[in-house]
Amino acid sequence: MRESIVIEGLSKYYNGFLALDNLSLKIRKNEDVALLGPNGAGKTTTLKLLCGLLRPSSGAAYINGINVVEERERAVSKVGAILETPEFYPFLTPEETLSYLGRLRGMRGRRLGRRIMEVIELVRLEEWSKVKIEKFSRGMKQRLAIAQALLHDPPILILDEPALGLDPRGMMEVREIFKEARKRKTVLLASHLLTEVAQVCDKVAIIDHGQLRVYDSIAHLKRKYRSFERAYLKLTRAAI
Amino acid sequence: MSEFEKLKIVTRYELLKQFRGKRFYGALAITVLAVVLTIGLYEGLDLPRQMGIPDNIMSQYGAEIFAIFVTSMGAMAILAAVFFAGDAIASEFEGKTGYILFPNPVKRTTIVVGKYLACFIATATILFIAYLISAGALLGFYGQVPGGILGSLAIALMLACSMISMAFAFSSVLKGGMGATIATLLTYMVVFSIISMSLSYAGYDPWFMPDRAGDTMTATYGISMEQVFGEMAGGGSMMGMMQASQDPVLGFLVLLGYAVILFGVSIVVTKRREMI
Repeated sequence: MRESIVIEGLSKYYNGFLALDNLSLKIRKNEDVALLGPNGAGKTTTLKLLCGLLRPSSGAAYINGINVVEERERAVSKVGAILETPEFYPFLTPEETLSYLGRLRGMRGRRLGRRIMEVIELVRLEEWSKVKIEKFSRGMKQRLAIAQALLHDPPILILDEPALGLDPRGMMEVREIFKEARKRKTVLLASHLLTEVAQVCDKVAIIDHGQLRVYDSIAHLKRKYRSFERAYLKLTRAAI
Repeated sequence: MSEFEKLKIVTRYELLKQFRGKRFYGALAITVLAVVLTIGLYEGLDLPRQMGIPDNIMSQYGAEIFAIFVTSMGAMAILAAVFFAGDAIASEFEGKTGYILFPNPVKRTTIVVGKYLACFIATATILFIAYLISAGALLGFYGQVPGGILGSLAIALMLACSMISMAFAFSSVLKGGMGATIATLLTYMVVFSIISMSLSYAGYDPWFMPDRAGDTMTATYGISMEQVFGEMAGGGSMMGMMQASQDPVLGFLVLLGYAVILFGVSIVVTKRREMI
């Protein structure tokens, strides 16, 4: 299987509003692709459809060749995801949360315990690992969201604004984490931050008003439009 | 990994949620207080005598009449069930925790069943404790525990099941947990009561209504309310108790029907609900 993610003519209506319009995209194994676009472009809708949180109005999405709508559980088993601004159960600690999610993915025993410690260390939550999440700030929850996405060492990462809510140091740390992860994972990252996209991904799919404007390498777009920023401004409309 | 294994995991962590919450201990404290107060007032005020229950009836059915008073756990079963179940599903959408839980390879059905089991176990724990206190009081005052207490407990548990199912159905449809809790309580206490009363006044037996079925927990002790309160059947609260002499088995089955159907509705709706 060369393609990790295949999106075929995906459309989504919300009560008559067309949020995603016939989107098609193929992401090969170990490619790093950014889904870039202004607010309301359809980025989050695309990622939610890929994770089976929404049903498409038409079209199909495949992860490792498995239809997400028909076999959602099997399709998402190899995916680690951060969607929107996730919240956690306030009565659990990060260790308990990761233990819960890890067990649901079939991890257990020492292997799970070791991996929980690894990801907690990776996102720098060691001192908070036994503290109930109800005491956490937005940035700390975002770090935990990153930890749960990486917990089962998935070959595919689907990330929606992963640096949201982080301070500048946190943003840099997170970029380093994903730069390291991309060496052996397929990454689909939704963002509207051009700098973040340029640092983490090689290719970009720019969408606007639910439609794909361009799907190309960032290097090629830079050459064609003289800068990445110019490419973005040319390919997206100014207002929603 | 089987769905059953996943179900055990979901149930375990949902139970953790219930037992770590203040809600559980609040509901437990209120229930224990209600039972102890009922026992204290029954004995302290000598309620049977105040109510004019004949001595020959008291000597024959004293333990059963006491049991009817102290094991009338309908309201407790309803409140505990609704408190635990109201936000079980809605909170995943309202509180955005669904963004963490739902992208995992676990069926929504498994999640809903796990949540249901946790809510039921939490409610059942409270009811068991309340019935244990009642059984202790029965032993202390009368030296016996009528067998009907088990039937009463079974109906209380089934009433809790049907209320959890109703709360789950509302929780799967409505945006917020608070709305689901209020909708469940209003439906049971206002809508169902109005329907049951209207049917009764019109001469129909509302045996299929869950509030009527829930009342049958007082009819499991094998004594006739007409016999106990027959001479006083002029109306008021006694009439309510007389109406409760419906077949407990039928009551149990009615509640089971509501529990199964409404739980099925909650599963279907939750499976189809999108995380917008």
